[in-house]
Formats: sequence, C-alpha cells, structure tokens
Amino acid sequence: MEDFVYFFTFQDSSIAFVVIGIILLGVGSAYVGTYSFLDKKALLGDAISHAVLPGICVGFILAGEKNPLFIVSGAFISGALATFLSSWLNKSTRLSEDAIIASILSIFFGFGIVLLTIIQKSGNPEMAGLNQFIFGNAIAILESDVYIYGGLAIFIILCLTVFQKEFSLLVFNPDYGRAIGFPMGMIRVTFNVLLILSVVIGIQAIGVVLMAALLITPGAAARFWTDRLGVLVILAGTFSAISGVLGTYISFVIPQMPTGPWVVVFLSIIALISFLFAPKKGVLSRYLSRRIYLRKTHRDHLLKLLYKGIEANKPGLPIAEIHEAFPFQKTQTKQSIGNLSKDKFITQSQLVIELSSTGRSEAKRIVRLHRLWELYLNEYMNIAPDHVHDTAEKLEHLLSPEMEELLESRLNFPKLDPHQENIPRD
Amino acid sequence: MITQVKNPILEIHDLTVSYDQSPVLWNVDLSLPSGKLIGILGPNGAGKSTLIKAIMGLVDPSGGYVKLFDKTLAEVRSRISYVPQRESVDWNFPASVLDVVMMGTYGKLGLFKRPGKKEKELSMESLEKVGMHGFANRQISELSGGQQQRVFIARSLAQNADLYLMDEPFAGVDMATETAIFELLKEMTAAGKTVIVVHHDIYSAVNYFDWFIMLNLHLVASGPKETAMTEELLSKTYGGKLNLLTKVSDLIRQKDFNPLKN
Amino acid sequence: MSFDQNAFLIIITAAMIAISCGLLGVFMMLRKMSMTGDAISHAVLPGIVIGFFISGSQRGLEVIIGAGILGILATLMIDWLRRKARVQLDASIGITFTLLFAIGIILINLLAYKVDLDQECVLYGEIAYLPIDLWLTKSGLNLGPRILYLSLLNLILVITFIILFFKELKVTSFDENFSKVIGIPAGLINLFLMSMVSYTTVSSFEAVGAILVVALLVVPPATAFLWTRKLKLLIQLTIAIGIGISIVGYYLAYFFDSSIAGMIVSVAGIGFLASALFKSKSFLSRFGTSRTSVSFEKTV
Repeated sequence: MEDFVYFFTFQDSSIAFVVIGIILLGVGSAYVGTYSFLDKKALLGDAISHAVLPGICVGFILAGEKNPLFIVSGAFISGALATFLSSWLNKSTRLSEDAIIASILSIFFGFGIVLLTIIQKSGNPEMAGLNQFIFGNAIAILESDVYIYGGLAIFIILCLTVFQKEFSLLVFNPDYGRAIGFPMGMIRVTFNVLLILSVVIGIQAIGVVLMAALLITPGAAARFWTDRLGVLVILAGTFSAISGVLGTYISFVIPQMPTGPWVVVFLSIIALISFLFAPKKGVLSRYLSRRIYLRKTHRDHLLKLLYKGIEANKPGLPIAEIHEAFPFQKTQTKQSIGNLSKDKFITQSQLVIELSSTGRSEAKRIVRLHRLWELYLNEYMNIAPDHVHDTAEKLEHLLSPEMEELLESRLNFPKLDPHQENIPRD
Repeated sequence: MITQVKNPILEIHDLTVSYDQSPVLWNVDLSLPSGKLIGILGPNGAGKSTLIKAIMGLVDPSGGYVKLFDKTLAEVRSRISYVPQRESVDWNFPASVLDVVMMGTYGKLGLFKRPGKKEKELSMESLEKVGMHGFANRQISELSGGQQQRVFIARSLAQNADLYLMDEPFAGVDMATETAIFELLKEMTAAGKTVIVVHHDIYSAVNYFDWFIMLNLHLVASGPKETAMTEELLSKTYGGKLNLLTKVSDLIRQKDFNPLKN
Repeated sequence: MSFDQNAFLIIITAAMIAISCGLLGVFMMLRKMSMTGDAISHAVLPGIVIGFFISGSQRGLEVIIGAGILGILATLMIDWLRRKARVQLDASIGITFTLLFAIGIILINLLAYKVDLDQECVLYGEIAYLPIDLWLTKSGLNLGPRILYLSLLNLILVITFIILFFKELKVTSFDENFSKVIGIPAGLINLFLMSMVSYTTVSSFEAVGAILVVALLVVPPATAFLWTRKLKLLIQLTIAIGIGISIVGYYLAYFFDSSIAGMIVSVAGIGFLASALFKSKSFLSRFGTSRTSVSFEKTV
C-alpha cells in the first residue's frame, strides 16, 4: 500500500520523470499508431520496431556507450531503410505485402541480433543498457532521457494535431488529396518519419517486440467508442497513458519485471473491455440490442394476437390461450404481458387479457405495417402470398412512420392484404 | 413473370440472403429446368453473385432453402461444378495450367489419394474442349484474361458434373474466347448438362440463353425469353432499385445486428 | 578437431529447422498469411513456459502440447476478434500476438524459480550453446543430439504432413471457395497448418529462438518465389536455400563471433535482397535480356 502511495504521489522525482516519460512516449505512439491503424497498415509499425534494432546497435558501437543522439540517429536510419526497402519491394517484385513486411521485419531483426551478440561478446559494460531496448524498462528512464525523448514525443503529437487535415487525407483518400493539390508524397514521407521516430522513442519503455501493441492497440480500442477522428486520437492517447502508468507501477513494485509486457497487458484489457462493452459497436452491446429488439418483437406479436382476436369477434383472450400461441416462450410471454400492462396497452381482469384503447391503436399500427409490407412484397416483388408472412413478421417492428407513409402512398392506401385480410386504419 | 417447372434440377424456396449486415436477396422463389443454358441477369449489386454463392453453400441464407436434384447440397456435391469469378484468385500462384485443371478432380479423389493417370487424361480432355491443350505446362501467371477463363472452365469440366454454376465467365474476355466458350456451353447443354451463368451484358444475353433469371435484390422474372424479357420486366430489373427496399435496407444496416437473421 | 563434429551437428540441425520452416512457410506465403505465421511464433511463448513449468526441468511433450494449444488459441483469438468483435485483420493479429507474447514474458519472470528459460534465449535461442554445454556439464552428451533428434522428428512430421495433404494445401491456398465447394474441409486444413507451425516453432525455439523462426518461415520461400513460379521448383529452391544459409551462416558467425541464428537470418536476408535487386523490373530491363511475357489483357 505504501508503495502505491509513494509511487502515485511522486514523492520521488525520478519516479515523476519516469511517469512523465512513459505518458509522453505512449501518447506519441498512440497518435501515430492510430493513423497507421486507420490506414490499415498497422503491421508496418511492427516491422519498423523490429527493424530499428541494427541501427541501435550500430549507434552504440560507434559511440561506445548508450549515447542517445547516436542511438536515435542509428535507429532512425535503420527504420528509414526498412521503410524504403518495403515500398521498393512492393513496387519491384510480385511478392505480396504481408510477405514483404514479414521478411523485412525478420531480416533486420536477425541482423540486429548479430550485432547485439557481437557487442555482448565484446564485454563492454555499457551493454546492459542495450538489452533494455529489446524488452523495455521504463524505470530506467533518466531525467535526461525524458527531455530528449519526451521532447520528440511532444513534437510528434504537435505535428499530428496541427496537420490533422493533411494526415487524415493521407489515410482516407490520398487520391482526392492529390487531386486538390496537396503534396501527398511529402505527407507520406513525413508520416513515415513520425512513425519511425515514435518507434525509436517508444521501444525505450516497451521493447522492440511489443512496440506494435503501443501503436495498434490504443487506436483499435478507441475506434469502438467514437467515429470522430479528433476524439479517436485523444482517446487512444488516454488509453496509452493509463496503461503506461499502470505498467510502470508494476515494474516499480516488482523490480525484476520488465515494464513492456505489463503495459501491453493493461492495454489489451482496455481493448477487450472496449470490444465487449463499447456502446453500439461492442459485442455485448450488440447482443443486448438484439435482446431488447427481440423482446419488443415479442410484445408486438402479442398485441397483434389480441387484435386478431378482436377481428375474430373475441374482445379478450384468456392468458392460457396467449401462452399457447407462443410455445416454449413462457417467461418471455409473462414478461411481455407485464410490460404491456405497465405501459397501459392491455388490461387484465380475471384470467382474460384485453387491449386498452391505446393498445388497440398500437396493435392496429403493427398489423397495418405487417399487412402493408406483405402487400408490397407481393405486388412489387412478385413474392407469393404464402411467402410474405415471415419477412413481414420480422420487419414490422422496424418500419418508421415515414416508411409507413411511403408504403401507403406507393400502394395507394389499399384495403386488403394478399391474404384478403383487412388493412386497419383509424 | 416467374415460371415454375415440374421436376426441377434446382429449386429455391423463399430464399433471403444478407451480405455484410444488409439484405441482398429477398424471398427468392424459383425452379429451374434441366438441360438448359440459363442466364442470371441484373444490374450491379443486384445479388447475382450472392445467389450463386448461396446455392453453393458459401454464404448462409437468413431464410429459405435450396434444393439440388431434389436433395441438399451436401448429398450431391459431386454432381455440381462451380466456376468462381476470375478476380477471386491470385494468378501469380505457382501452378501450371494442368495443375489448376487437375484440381477439378480432387473432389472425387478424397483425402490422401494422389491424382494419377486417369485424372491427368481427364484434365487433358477438358483442356482440349476449351482449346488450351497446348498450354498444359504453361504457368498461369503468363496467361491472358481469356485464357485464364478457359482454364477455369476446363477445371469445372474435369469435375464431370451434371450442373454447372459460373460466375461471370464472360467478363473481361476477348471476342474469340467469348464465342468459343458459348459454343462449348451449347454443346454441354445439348449433351444434357445444365449450365447456369451469371452474365453482365444484357445485349448478348438475349442470344445466348434459353432461360432467364432477372434479379434486382428480388426476383423480377424467371422463364424463357418470351415471358422473362419483356420491356416492362427489363425496366423493373434495370430501372433502379426499389426506393422502399433501399430505405428498409438502410434501416437494417443502421442496426448493430441483422434483424432478418434468426 | 572435435569442433568440426560440432560444426557438423549444428549445421545439420540448423538446416533441418530451416527446411521444416521453409516447407510450411511456402504455403503460409501462398495463403498470404506470413504475418499470421509471425504472430503464431510469438504467441506460443506462454504455452512453452507453462509446459516447462508443468514438466519441471525436463523439456518434453508438455512443452510441445502447450505450444500447440497456444498456437490454436492464437488462431481462434484472431478469428474471434475479426469476425465476432469486428476488429480489422491486421489489428486482430497485432493485438493477439503482443498480448500472448507479453503474458509469456511475464510468466518467465514469475516462474523463474522453476523455469530455466532466459528471456533472450527465447528470442534468439543459442544453437551454439549446445556443443559448449557438452564441455561443461556432466549430462552434456545428451544435449546436443537431443536438439538434433527433435529437429529430425519435426522435419519428418512436416514432410509427412505436406506429402499427405499436398493437394489439399495446394487447392485451399489457390482457391479457397472452390475447395469448399468440392467438399474439402478448408477450415480444418488451415487449423492443421497453423498447428504444424506452432509445433515447429516450439521444436526450434531452443536452437534459433521464437522470432528467428519467423525469418526461416518467410525469407527462403520469398527468395525462391523471386526466381520461379513452378511449385515443385519453389519447394526445392526453398530447401536448397535453407541448407545454404545454414552452412554460410554458421561459418560467418564463427568468424564474427556472433549469434549463429542471427547470422543465418542475415545471410538469408542478403540473399533475398540480392535476388530482389537482380530480378527487379528496372534491373532486368537495363541489364537483362528482354523477354516479354505472353500476356495481352492482364487481370485486375
């Protein structure tokens, strides 16, 4: 508990720097990654994160120590080379895109491993810092690191925010952008530069292998909550920041744990929650929507049943008969009866259920929609009378008043449906 | 005008199919005679490909069913042949013309058996019928569009089926190939096979087919030329989508689930 | 000198692994699932760790089963994300493999007291350790041949799988819809293939590490595909490349004193890029013979 308080009240300034650092890194990556995600090129970020390894090693070899300038430059050149090779291979060979990305990813990484093991064998004590690049260790972020990497992250975030218009054109409709005179080629290059930069600074915290998560997961999660680009990017950044801080906290409390995996775990939890529970797009939300719809459907069917009873000169129906009409749906029927009573659409006296006056007009409306749609299917689509019922049964609950008007005028206010039943109106 | 036949080779009953959240075919009811060259016509997005895919079991309908030779698809697979659209495969695949045609024999071979001399002969015969006998060892990446189409048809011939379903076999193909394929299909129907073809061009269709299926999200007509290709029916097919249908499809697409599915 | 015998053992093992991976990789590439292969080789990590944990210090069947289960789990997760949760494909792959790999790393750390796995070893293995271990440990003599036999078993199973299901693999890779229609269980074939990839990953990771397995899955087939369009030749070339890079890679690693697996991949990379350059359209038109292909109207 005291660890928790110690951590989160930033009593230790080095912890404060770590937290600031990880938030900036995470947000920067989330911003860039979200655009990559929208561009459907999310795995390119994965390739780049693996591809910077040889550059990092070369930078280290040349500097003799973990010098940020050399390392960042090396990583950058390495990443840029990988990006360039990817697009060149795409243009000059008939290899598919996924094969190209996977090849570049593993070749550069393999080469990086060669350099890494050479450095390891050379016995340079500084080398321990290099391992951090593969697995990430946010706790090791020094104050000086924060200024450099944090500064770069802020630069990335600013760039993407200021030029949101240009980058969204790049991702959604580059041909149109070209047509209205935007320098799409330049914009693409700039984007790639930002992507490589964010990878370079992000792997500090999370490591080479897991960097893809920092790019892809926040955007994928945020996508479920909103359709607006501005909100999307900010939400992605927020998710990333939260996961970053939580992951760092774990690394702080259990020192031998590398930060990277924990950040990914928290990001994935947020993503899973988004995929399941986001309103409208979430799996559970869709499931609930469907359940609610099916319940409304059942209530509508019950009203129709009562109305048909009236057409057959039975002003009310006994509960038992209603249940019989919906076999295997006992609880559902009970629920519908309860709901309809509450809404005052039906009244119940002894064991007989009757439609109220509001109930009667609602029932009439549904029956009318059903029979109008049946007529439409039959007249306009040549569908046989004995086949129109099922579809109409499913759709009567959807048709809006506007659609009702259209149907009426299109069919010319008909009196009878394909089964020669009356189309009821007030 | 929807003509139904007795003892149909293919029977579709109240078929509704949704694709990607919105309904593409509404309550299709038709029956088809055997031994005929049948064309499926309609504008883009009318549901032609979807109909073929539903018959082949590649998409699940939200309602209704399909019967082939009065049985389910699973029972009669060996009697049915499918020619997908040319763009549905990557022609850079490392295979020779003969390789692809031999794939038509895989269904009857079953697991673990390798194709042998019998299969090779059958494949070469099929290649002969489409005039590609000399191309047997050519890589498919070196073929023209028309040649690719012939290879696909040869593959389906190698299946030795009774009912053939072809998705746009004449699309993007040169005139000579088109005529050749048409001649071949006519020979096949003369020999008693049934061939159903999704076709994109109304003008040539008139001269090609014995039976016409007109689709526009729903079945507009099914029958011989006289009853299915009247001016009124043509304008119903090609004259734009039914306004109400489009609106309802929009309503359905806005929901997060498909209310037509069970 | 006994070093030569070790060199031979290492090269043979590496070559066998390269061939197993290459054979499976050909079909992964043709199905445009190279990145899924990448994902699976990362995703099996927790399965490996749990398998190690359960079996104590004996590396055995549990590890392979663990990896197999994780491989299938990863495939199912990607599928669920894509179809039920409606997440786009590349994101589904990325989220799945990073999560599973992260869990694997966490498990390695949590179970370090019982599981003798080194983080780095997992990533790039150390095939060179085996002969060196031979010198240091008493039970040494079993270690070297153990990996050798594992790889040999893997190779035999992979070859058997490919021979048995050759035509099914061919048709499902070329035209999945057609294969379903003629009654071939395309989904099952896919699952089998993914399982073989998982199994091969775990069988090889001690020698070359999980990540470099990806390179062996992808790069030799991609290189071969630059040279030929004939399937038989493609497979033969992939095998030849696999053997070649193992030999050259080993000796270069010895010369530079670096990771053997990494060097093998680097050699593969140089071969790949050189082939791409040599076979590229601009290069051919400038330096090669003009040989127009016989296509008039190209497909879309």
